[in-house]
Amino acid sequence: MSAPSPASPSLATRALDLLGSEWTKFRSVRSTYWSLLVAVVTPVAVSAVVAFAFAHTPGTSPPLDPLLPGVISLEYAVIAVSVLGVLAFSAEYSSGLIQVTFTAAPRRRAVLAAKAVVLAAVTLAAGEVVAFVSFGLVQAILAGTRQGVSLGRPGVPGAVLAAGLLLCVCALLGLALGAIIRHTAGGIAATIAVILVPGILLLLPAPWNGWIGRFTLLEAAHQVSTLHPAADLFSPGWSLLVLLAWPAAGLAAAALVITRRDA
Amino acid sequence: MIEVERLSKRFGPVTAVDDLSFTVRPGRVTGFLGPNGAGKTTTMRIILGLAAPTSGRALVGGRRYDGLIRPLREVGSLLDATALHAGRTGWAHLWSIAQANGIARPRVTEVLRLAGLESVARRRVGGFSLGMKQRLGIAAALLGDPPVLMFDEPVNGLDPEGIHWIRGFFRELAADGRTVLVSSHLMSEMAQTADHLVIIGRGRLLADVPTAELIESSARRDVLVRSPRAAELAALIEARGGTVTRQDDGALVVTGLDAAAIGDLAAGDGIAVHALIPRQASLEDAYLDLTGESTDYRGRLQ
Repeated sequence: MSAPSPASPSLATRALDLLGSEWTKFRSVRSTYWSLLVAVVTPVAVSAVVAFAFAHTPGTSPPLDPLLPGVISLEYAVIAVSVLGVLAFSAEYSSGLIQVTFTAAPRRRAVLAAKAVVLAAVTLAAGEVVAFVSFGLVQAILAGTRQGVSLGRPGVPGAVLAAGLLLCVCALLGLALGAIIRHTAGGIAATIAVILVPGILLLLPAPWNGWIGRFTLLEAAHQVSTLHPAADLFSPGWSLLVLLAWPAAGLAAAALVITRRDA
Repeated sequence: MIEVERLSKRFGPVTAVDDLSFTVRPGRVTGFLGPNGAGKTTTMRIILGLAAPTSGRALVGGRRYDGLIRPLREVGSLLDATALHAGRTGWAHLWSIAQANGIARPRVTEVLRLAGLESVARRRVGGFSLGMKQRLGIAAALLGDPPVLMFDEPVNGLDPEGIHWIRGFFRELAADGRTVLVSSHLMSEMAQTADHLVIIGRGRLLADVPTAELIESSARRDVLVRSPRAAELAALIEARGGTVTRQDDGALVVTGLDAAAIGDLAAGDGIAVHALIPRQASLEDAYLDLTGESTDYRGRLQ
């Protein structure tokens, strides 16, 4: 028989317990490593290719944004990190493991929060590594053409740092939609759709494209990570809020439904 | 102690659990019995806070499950042994569950040993047999050394050795003074494992009795008799105080006289007897009598 339970553990202890549990789950399956590998290697490789193309493009007017290759390449990691985010819940729902998770931790929103913290920490680190490695690689390739910039130039560190946010934003959106939809394929499809489909609306004639574009996730991500912000979108500061609002809204919706439905 | 109070659960037009009340007490193995679809799993899911009841409530140790701070230290449960991430090792699976409840690492090793899984703990569970998954699920239920344990159809997939092991194991847990609730749709299984039975059908309580009492009440005896002169023999038996019912195939079913008395009676009048079979109703029959009206999916072969 169990000893009488010790005094109720503090909130901080319980939070750390849940984080430890989710961290163990996160690092004990292979899909985590495959997704992260693709999310890191693909954009770094793509940034080098795009920079090479830039370096061999005849001078344009206005000159190309030297940060653009790095920004474009990060979008190639969107699918991998979205999958990683979706799987955090959908894999548990489809296997039935969610019952084990929720009997071990009946406060479902705490489970959602713990998964979000673990996923955000890892994908933020991965995103920043990709952003800075790509930046270094791109500028090294552009250096010969005098199009490159140094990290010391005002505005550059902030823009590169902001570019690295994209992976974390998409992963958290995936986590939220995985918790809401509870199926892996459906969750991935929905996440990709939410991220990419609004881009179609940019084909609308001006000023519609700007009015709508300023609220889309990818345009907001561009706006915060470029040296030449577009005039028809929100300012970089507001765009950062838009960028963060997408996963925040998703997680809020997930927090609402997660306690209302039977597991 | 588990208390289920006037519990109901409806899924649209379907009532899975219907005003169900019972109490599971410590120190004995309670069998939770009913045909497939009777509402056993739904009831257990409500007790564990996984499903919300439409009305009524379920308490564990006097509290709602979702109010427990370290639930695995209060209640251990196994609903579906196959609910695992195939790519995770048995050890990582248990460790992630333990961490969520502040349970230390050595306890993981200990429950793996109790379940006889030490040698495969570092293998991915995707390669486990159903029996090994059951053992892993039981190990998980034991992590918090809880005073209350619940198992949903734990015998499914176990080999005879495993079934023997798990029966002894439930008895030990009950002998420790724990509350043990084990569901099954097989009466024969529960007759050998449970001290007390809660029997439900179509979400309703059918019986809440000690196993021994159910066996006692089901001890209905009769004798099946076949004879070419059945009508004469039936008259003789009735004259001696026996009760005779005739089956469609001409056989007689006799109560009130034993086989020896019937044989002597027939021999006395020179009546040939082709069959004289003493019969005892099994516990299985008692269960079928109870649940017969409430089986959802009845075979239609006859």
